[in-house]
Parts: sequence; C-alpha cells; structure tokens
Amino acid sequence: MAAAFIVGVAMTDIGWHERDPHDMGVRVCAEALRDAGLLPSRVDGLISTPHGYMSGTRKMISQRMADCLGIECGLMLDVDSGGNSSSVAVHIARDRIQGGKIKSCLVFAAQREVPPRQIRGDIVGHFHLIKAANSLYDSYQAAYGVISPLPFYAMAIQRYMHLHGIDAEDIARVAVLLREHALRHPQAAYSEPLTVEEVLGSKVLTPPIHRHESSEMHDGAAAVVLVGEELARGDGRAVRVAGMREAHDATSFVPYRGEISRFPCVGRAAHGALEESGYAIADIDVAEVYGAFAGMEPMMYEELGFFAPGEAPAAIAEGRTTHGGEVLINPSGGRLSLGHPAYVTPLLEFVEIVRQLRGEAGERQRQGAAVGLVHTEQGFINGSIVAVLDKANWR
Amino acid sequence: MDTKPYMQDRAAEEFFSRLERGEFQTTRCRGCGETHYPPRVVCPACLGEDMEWVDLPRQGTLLAFTRQADAIRCREPDVLGLVELEAIGNVVTRIDAPFEELSIGIKVAFDTWTSPDGVALHQFRPTT
Ligand SMILES: [Zn+2]
Repeated sequence: MAAAFIVGVAMTDIGWHERDPHDMGVRVCAEALRDAGLLPSRVDGLISTPHGYMSGTRKMISQRMADCLGIECGLMLDVDSGGNSSSVAVHIARDRIQGGKIKSCLVFAAQREVPPRQIRGDIVGHFHLIKAANSLYDSYQAAYGVISPLPFYAMAIQRYMHLHGIDAEDIARVAVLLREHALRHPQAAYSEPLTVEEVLGSKVLTPPIHRHESSEMHDGAAAVVLVGEELARGDGRAVRVAGMREAHDATSFVPYRGEISRFPCVGRAAHGALEESGYAIADIDVAEVYGAFAGMEPMMYEELGFFAPGEAPAAIAEGRTTHGGEVLINPSGGRLSLGHPAYVTPLLEFVEIVRQLRGEAGERQRQGAAVGLVHTEQGFINGSIVAVLDKANWR
Repeated sequence: MDTKPYMQDRAAEEFFSRLERGEFQTTRCRGCGETHYPPRVVCPACLGEDMEWVDLPRQGTLLAFTRQADAIRCREPDVLGLVELEAIGNVVTRIDAPFEELSIGIKVAFDTWTSPDGVALHQFRPTT
C-alpha cells in the first residue's frame, strides 16, 4: 500500500493578528515548502479552509494562493467542515497521494476572526453576525437564542461531572496543566502561569464553565506539506501518516437521542485509524486532542481510549498525561493555552506532532517519541477525525 | 431588529405554530409508524413524507441545565435545559426555575412561554 508523508510544517505565532489572512497564509505556505525542500513548481495539490466563522466570507482562497506562489496543480479545494476542515484537507490530500493521482499537496489554513468582545460591545451594530451565529443551529436549538455551542458544552460537562463524581477542582486542574504545557511553547497565545484558584475565581461564563476553562477565538495560520513515497524517500525528518479515519454521528450539535456527555464518533475514528496503522492506543507516545473546554479534555481522552470512562481526571491529576507520564497529551498547550483559531487548529495539531516525532519540539520534546496521534472534531463533536503518525522508516 | 426564530422547514413552522395554540406535538410517519423528535418533513426510517401530528409527553426528566447570558431573546441570564421525554428523546428547552434550585434527575412538566420579543416557545418547570 502506498503511503503519504508529511515533509514540511509551519505555523505563525497564535494570538490576535492585524495582517490579512491571505498574507499570513502566503508566508506560512512558503515556510512549510522551505521546510520540505520543495519548490512551488513541484506542488501538485492545494487545499485550504475559510478565514473564520464570523469573517469567513472570502471565496476561492486556494486559487489566489496558486497565483501568488506559482502553483500549477491537479487538485484544488476550499474545505468547510467546521472545526474539522483542515484535517479533512489533510485526509483528502493523503487519499489522493496514496491513490497515485498526485505526488504532493500543500494544505494551509489562515484565520483572522472578528473579536467576540467587539460584537458584545455593540449588539445592535453587529446583530447580523449574531443572527449568523444563531443560524448554525437547527430551529429547535436556535429558538432559545443560542449564539455559541457554549451552553451545550456546559450541559455535557455538567452531566459528565455528575455521572462520575468529578469536582470543579478536577476540571480547573486541566486548564492549569495545559497552561504549564504552553509555557514551554514560544508561539503559544498565553505566556502567563495559571493556578487552580485563578481558574475557579474567573467569571462563570455558562455554568459550570469558567472563563479560564473556555478557549478563546484566536488568529493564526499553519501549513502542512504532504508527499508520496517518491518525493519523501530518504528524508530522515519525514513523518508517515500511518492511519487516518473520519467518523460522524447523525447529529447536529445537541443529540436528540442518547447521552449528551458521550461522543461515539471519537471512538470510531480512533479505532479505525489505529487499526489501519497497526498500533494500539497504548503505543501512542504523544497526542494532540481537540478539546475546546477544560471539561471536554478528559471526556475526549476517554472516548479516544486512553482511559476508561470517568478515569481521565484522576489520571491527569496523577501526571499521567504530562511530561514524564505514560502519554504526553497536548504538549502544545492545547486549544485552551496554545490558542484556538478553529479553522487552523487541526494543522497546529499536526505541526506539533510532526515536530515531536522529528525530535524538534524544543523544551516540549517527549524523549523518544515514535508514534503520535491527532484528534480533531467539528460542531459539538458531532464528527471526528483521528490520524496516527510515526517516523518514516527507509530501511 | 428582526429576532424571529429561524424556521428551517415546514415541520418547524408547524411545530412552533402549534405551540402558539398550546399544543406540544411532533410528527409520526403514516407509512411506517415511526415517531420523530424533532418533527421531520421526511421520515428517516422509510423516507415517507406522509405525516400526522401526535402529542408529545408533557412530563420529563431534567438531564442537564445551564444558564446563558449572551443570547438572542434572553437579555437577562436565562436557564436552558435538556429534558428527556420517555421513548421520544432529548428536548432543548427553557427551564422555568432559578438555576440554584435545580438538580439533575428531577421531574419537570411542560408549559408554554412567550419570550419578551413575542415568540411562543416551550418551557419546563419542576413538578414538586
Ligand atoms: Zn416512516
């Protein structure tokens, strides 16, 4: 079976950016191609995502990049699948490469979002944006005025805590740990330490979610270069995409049947990706997991199979998911502390795992990291993609 | 400011107009007998489009609840909940009680509620 490899990665600092997302995108694409040692004339495919949820109205993003970088290619696509978008892009690039249709693909995402604070400061002036946010949800959810998935996540976390006897400190500790991870990342949005007292003392946004337990919308850009074996062969820094699986539940935001604190698509995606790769969950050395809220992190670790239901908070408290633990989860700081430009986030996760497997993660390096996992999701974790990555073996 | 709720299809229009009359109903497929929630214009079980409207249970169990501050048609923080209707499924609704007085698992009962901007919606209230 033909394989696909990641041979180039790049990301901007994560935070609030003034630059046009196209400008961020061009620079990050060039950096990833330089990292791959590939000139634009060798790029066969170009896939990107919208520039944001609120601001993402510009079309034909990949086409403009083709012109700017001089890429005459055989695949071009702008993907919009919410939070999964840029990992759908990686998945399609991998499939086309494995199928022999293209030899290389540049996947990029750049996001510059309208700051939510600005919206709240002028409800009337930005009412069209609030209506647009409300229209993400079906009539039976939208009627109650929701303009973000926050209340749905709040209810899932509340039930998870209720069913497993998890307390507020357990959840706050997750935010603190992710901040500790981010302090080792020079490109993270946050560089101030955080304590459990500060988390629990921060404003309750939507109970039980505190301000410091909720990821903010950030700006940033990232790019990943995938190639087939022909172009990757001999590259000692190449990372193989050993398995990848996408899985969706038949739900849109709140599930109308079943348990709101369970997310079956995560386990199906993980199972499929692991099976294809030939690895078991216990083989994973380092993982990037898409948890937009502190309370969602333990649930995702459990759905992925790292821990049994209800057991992740204790595992996190015991240091089993940090440096020196059995699996290093979200060494980047995760969505909460690396920062969360949603359309870019999956690529940021791939960048981190590639850096870890190359041994180029600096102070965040997991010694001897050989197998990594990326998990991404869309909506209210209505769909998930899991990728298993390992170091290319050219012997 | 147009704050009218978004109606995604004819089933939603019908559901909310029935609520205005105090009716809490959903679709049942005449072809295969499947009851849906939310109401559907196409039956996911048999793809039939011939629906009748049947009563939903007016008693349920509170699965989860929270308070949202920034939302259309609830300028004041308001309690949003998820209520399980037996043999039907989960309903997103307003809970007519102070947040602090609620707990997971309590029994709640249906009522209608007219929002400050004049929209007829359902809400549930603890039965004790
Ligand atoms: Zn039917």
